Amino acid sequence: MNFFQRAIRYVKRKSAKSFLLAITFFVIGNLVILGLGVSQAADNAKILTRKKMRAVVSYEVDYEAWWDYADNIEDSEEREAAYRNGPVVQKEKALEIAKDERVLAFNYMVNDAVYGIDLEFVPLGNDAEKELTDSENTSVRQSFMVYANLQPEMLEMAEGTFTILEGSWYTQQDIDGARPVCCITKELADQNALHVGDTITITSVNQNNKQDYENAGYNIEDLNLELEVIGIYDTKENVDPNSENFKWMSSFESPKNRIMMPLTTYVEHKIAAGEMELTVHPSWYDPNYTIDDIRKGAETPNKVIYLLDDPLNVDKFVEDHSGSLGDFLRLNANNETFKKMARPLDSMSFFANIVVWIVVINAIIIISLVTALTLKTREYEIGVLLSMGVSKPIIVVQLFVELVLLAFLGFGLASVSGSIMAGNVGNLVLEYQTSSEAKYEDNDNDSYFFASSDSYFTEVSQDDMLSEYHVSVSPLLILEIFILGTGVVLIAIVIPSFMIMRLNPKQILLEQN
Amino acid sequence: MGTILKLEDICYGYTDGSYKREILKKLSYEFQEGTFYTILGPSGSGKTTLLSIMAGLDKQESGKIYYMGEDIDKMTLYKYRRNKIGVVFQSYNLISYLTGLENVLLSMTETDNKLPGNHKELAYALLNMVGIANTKADRLVTHLSGGEQQRIAIARAIACNVDLIFADEPTGNLDTATEQEIIKLFQMLSERFGKTIIAVTHSNEVSKFSDHRVLLKNGILNDL
Repeated sequence: MNFFQRAIRYVKRKSAKSFLLAITFFVIGNLVILGLGVSQAADNAKILTRKKMRAVVSYEVDYEAWWDYADNIEDSEEREAAYRNGPVVQKEKALEIAKDERVLAFNYMVNDAVYGIDLEFVPLGNDAEKELTDSENTSVRQSFMVYANLQPEMLEMAEGTFTILEGSWYTQQDIDGARPVCCITKELADQNALHVGDTITITSVNQNNKQDYENAGYNIEDLNLELEVIGIYDTKENVDPNSENFKWMSSFESPKNRIMMPLTTYVEHKIAAGEMELTVHPSWYDPNYTIDDIRKGAETPNKVIYLLDDPLNVDKFVEDHSGSLGDFLRLNANNETFKKMARPLDSMSFFANIVVWIVVINAIIIISLVTALTLKTREYEIGVLLSMGVSKPIIVVQLFVELVLLAFLGFGLASVSGSIMAGNVGNLVLEYQTSSEAKYEDNDNDSYFFASSDSYFTEVSQDDMLSEYHVSVSPLLILEIFILGTGVVLIAIVIPSFMIMRLNPKQILLEQN
Repeated sequence: MGTILKLEDICYGYTDGSYKREILKKLSYEFQEGTFYTILGPSGSGKTTLLSIMAGLDKQESGKIYYMGEDIDKMTLYKYRRNKIGVVFQSYNLISYLTGLENVLLSMTETDNKLPGNHKELAYALLNMVGIANTKADRLVTHLSGGEQQRIAIARAIACNVDLIFADEPTGNLDTATEQEIIKLFQMLSERFGKTIIAVTHSNEVSKFSDHRVLLKNGILNDL
């Protein structure tokens, strides 16, 4: 009869003691499941919400920090200089970050509203358009938005927002060679009966100043940019006619009036237009303003957007690259808002983890004491076993097996009741948390965030996150609890083990005799 | 017949504050195989201490103990207890949450000298031999009388297939009739199975039936 068989017989035949210990483990198990279940559900809800959000990180200027700094410069000249030379995203750094293997695609892209020459925009049909059509000549309005990018692998292509219908997208060679090519939406092509191979003409020069240019001896039409349509694409993006902004939205804000082109081509056009503009309207510009400033302004985007392979990689990605960005530049993963939304879940998770630790520590103390006290009544049995040549470590193992059997019994029962309890308690605490958070949010007014027109962050609400909160006791959690239980028993057995190791069979048996 | 256990210059004492009381004083003796010994002596003479040392439950301060010529310290006391000897105590010392059969099985499986064959059947046979029927063997030992428990203790002592059995006041808790039966059992083990029995006792009745009577007095053993 080995130690395992002895342990089973002890547990079976000393039923009262076993029952009490099993009850102890049952109570401990319920509390641990409650804590771990609630904590895990909170973590899962956060992960699921994170997964719902796009894995997007923006490399951008931290304007809040910059204004804080610049506004506090005491010397006025120095302050003015600081305002003129504000921080901008660094092209080299942006391209270096893009080399990270987690980056699926990135947008190094500038956008600018432009005029179309003999090019009809796709109408939105809103109030703003009706008013303008009645009062102004549509040819002198900026009706299109140019999006000029540095490389062809855009987020929109990677995510399937854009699908090329005719022709092809421009290549890296087109970009590097500053070729006058573009891709337009299917709607814009239909509006103007355009096909691949046709050309469109746009300009960034204000058409209302035509006379000024002629007075200075220039022909404004020389600045027109003729682009060959090499691709016609379909976009899933659309404007919401029910949105608040729709009524007064300009036509260039419509995704259908978007013209995609190489950044290099656009920058050349902007430099040519800028040179002429500086000559025609010198008083409009700072005397120190140069053509380099024009180039810098034209080729530097407000932000560079990276699409990552997994939303769960976002935090690590930001952490990995944030150290070397330079002053007033940051990688924004929209974490602040996410963290604010997750606050009730974080609080729950925090307190649940504290409960688990308290229970585990108490469990170790209680089981240690109970085992040590029980051991006193089992000295005689231990003395007999020792007199028969059973080694002390084997006696400790027998004791351990007895406790593990009872722990498994208690935890097994607790895994059923604990999951029900964890679900109910978790929901109750969450309800309380969110109601108290809501009071706070009323003042804070930041529980919801929106994707602006150039924002790539996904719109997610706190309700979305909380709807993902479900307490369930998964097999993995049960396994975790059993491992934890075994660990508790293992630690709890340490003190009784020392007691056993000190036992002397002669003394025990003589005392009995 | 050869020597099964040899004691050589065994010393042992108790320290009580600054006073040291010597119990065993360079005690030497040789026990022969297949013999039933009883060790007699006045109270406090150190009989139980000597038995504990011989049974490997305690360690002598100096001197050597040889089992079949082998120093028991070298084979380690655990192994010595497990494989070379059996012990029968005055208060039986059975494990209370096991049945009589399981107590015997425990001893049978714990040793490295396992008896060949079906252990359960062998255990029943041993118990039957000491006068315990199968129905009683299957009861928890706490549900048996003192005599029955002592019989089981004897069965357990021989179940580990050893040639040397120590008994500490084996009839101390028993009535006269049962005492006689236990003595007969020891005689049978010695005569029929060639086991060496070394029993510590106060009882002249027990010693009367042994092959060899030894007196422990003034820390040494003398044949009577």
